[in-house]
Amino acid sequence: MSQIGDLLAKVANKDGAAFQQLYDQFADRVYRYAFTILHDKHLAEEITQETMIVVWNGADRFRGRSKASTWIFGIARNQALTLLRKEKRTENVENPVLVQPDPSKNIIQHERVMTALDELSDDHREVVYLTFYEGLSYGEIAGILGIPSGTVKSRMFHAKRKLAEALT
Amino acid sequence: MNECTSIRELIPWYVNGSLSVDEAREVAAHLSQCERCRNELTQVMRLNVEVRLAFDEFGGASAEVRKEVLGQTAGKTLASFNMGSFLLGFSFGASYQKGRVPIRGDLKLLGRKIRLISPHKEAHDE
Repeated sequence: MSQIGDLLAKVANKDGAAFQQLYDQFADRVYRYAFTILHDKHLAEEITQETMIVVWNGADRFRGRSKASTWIFGIARNQALTLLRKEKRTENVENPVLVQPDPSKNIIQHERVMTALDELSDDHREVVYLTFYEGLSYGEIAGILGIPSGTVKSRMFHAKRKLAEALT
Repeated sequence: MNECTSIRELIPWYVNGSLSVDEAREVAAHLSQCERCRNELTQVMRLNVEVRLAFDEFGGASAEVRKEVLGQTAGKTLASFNMGSFLLGFSFGASYQKGRVPIRGDLKLLGRKIRLISPHKEAHDE
């Protein structure tokens, strides 16, 4: 089993120290993933909190059929989508402003990438995040999103094209 | 779908290193003989770096979230006791969580864990 899988096994035994390690390895990643979906710092923190609590309570249900990280991101996604449905926020996120670039950096290219990411659809941005930031395989992403692998590749194809324009 | 198209679909996952050995070999073999796909590879590698930097700016969860989560879960360990081996053993633990002191106890028999004392748990399937 992977290192994360080992930690999860300990968490299933209610090992608090193991959970703290797991939290420190995953909380920010879960937060960023939630942010790509929700575009709101406070909601992303709420999802981080709920996800990590579900991980604590449900660690003994993890069977190792998927990677532990894939399982955790799947929980985060479900939590985020449930929150979106509950708050009916979907209408409010059509033109999300993700993060204002740090003006001190003043790097035109970086700002262009941020803008291009901002302009991607949520579906496309999610695939880009899970691929490039989390390093997941297209099969793992398909598992998290509950869509065929071909759809993951297709979303990436379109997202890549739009992002590439920002880099040219 | 021609070969270049199917290879280009895989390039993002070639770059993040998550392709199977067979797929990675197939992509590498194609790249060695296709300049256009090599250009695509260069572009995706660059994109990978830029996008990671951009996502880094999303930041992370605050210290308050950590405190809240640990308060509701792991809490502060009050006592922990383990004895025995992988095949046969016993473990016991108690912690302070939100004014409660949940206790758990497990018996390990032939490597299989049997929960004797269980704190409240919320079900969640993989």
